[in-house]
Amino acid sequence: MGLVQRVLEASGIPTVTLSMIPDLTRAVGVPRLAGISYPMSRPLGRPHDADGQRAVLRATLEVLASATGPDCFVELPFEWPESPAVARNASKGLPPPPIVDLLQKKPWLLARLYSGRVPGRDGPV
Amino acid sequence: MSIDSYRFLDFATRQIMKAWAARQEQGVIPFTPLAKPLRECTVALVSTAGVARHDDQPFDQERERRDPWWGDPSFRAIPLGTSERDVRLYHLHIDPRFGEADLDVVLPMRRLAELAAEGAVGCPAPTHYSVMGYILEPQELVEKTAPAIAERMRAERVDAAALVPA
Repeated sequence: MGLVQRVLEASGIPTVTLSMIPDLTRAVGVPRLAGISYPMSRPLGRPHDADGQRAVLRATLEVLASATGPDCFVELPFEWPESPAVARNASKGLPPPPIVDLLQKKPWLLARLYSGRVPGRDGPV
Repeated sequence: MSIDSYRFLDFATRQIMKAWAARQEQGVIPFTPLAKPLRECTVALVSTAGVARHDDQPFDQERERRDPWWGDPSFRAIPLGTSERDVRLYHLHIDPRFGEADLDVVLPMRRLAELAAEGAVGCPAPTHYSVMGYILEPQELVEKTAPAIAERMRAERVDAAALVPA
């Protein structure tokens, strides 16, 4: 997502990313970043929690106005109401992504995934 | 930083994300100042949840199942007013059920409209967007998809955009 953000920003549209893994998004080099400690798949909060979602969106959009230069990083103060184990458990039973299936059959390809080098093609991620 | 970026991830995903973060280079970071106050801005949203309307082409899950190193690099336009009844989430690396129960969990168009109604932002753009996360080869995403989204945003006079990875 950081890559898309950079293209939009470079084309003249001010942008902010709301990231649950701000460490990774920031490493890509983005103009404005709002980091949040929420579980994957639920960046704005729990379903049907309109007040919570609105607060997160409001805080994210405020970074658009408050940033004075690139690599602006704001840590949002919101706390997820469940432990990581409980949050992960909510998604138990989903089929694993295809890459996880593949790596279970061919674990030696894990090094490829770490490096971001795609087998049979050239160039890094 | 005080936020632990890896707190909610399982061990394997955590190790991979850390390895990827360590390999990135920031380079020269673009920056476009906001041209007017937020309360006057037209705002567009971009989700990476792989959201597509039932009346639009789905993201290509079958090709990813055949080639797990591949992710669909295209985008879908999501008109304002689209709700969870109108869409599916095609991203195979997230739990789609939360966004399919309440689209605002990943693409908060209703929340944006509420913020506009109370005067915090100008107005929601007529069109919002979705791409897929997990694109290991981002060339088409960067060279084709993102510029196409930018062009459409400019045509709709979007003043600012918020991107939401899922």
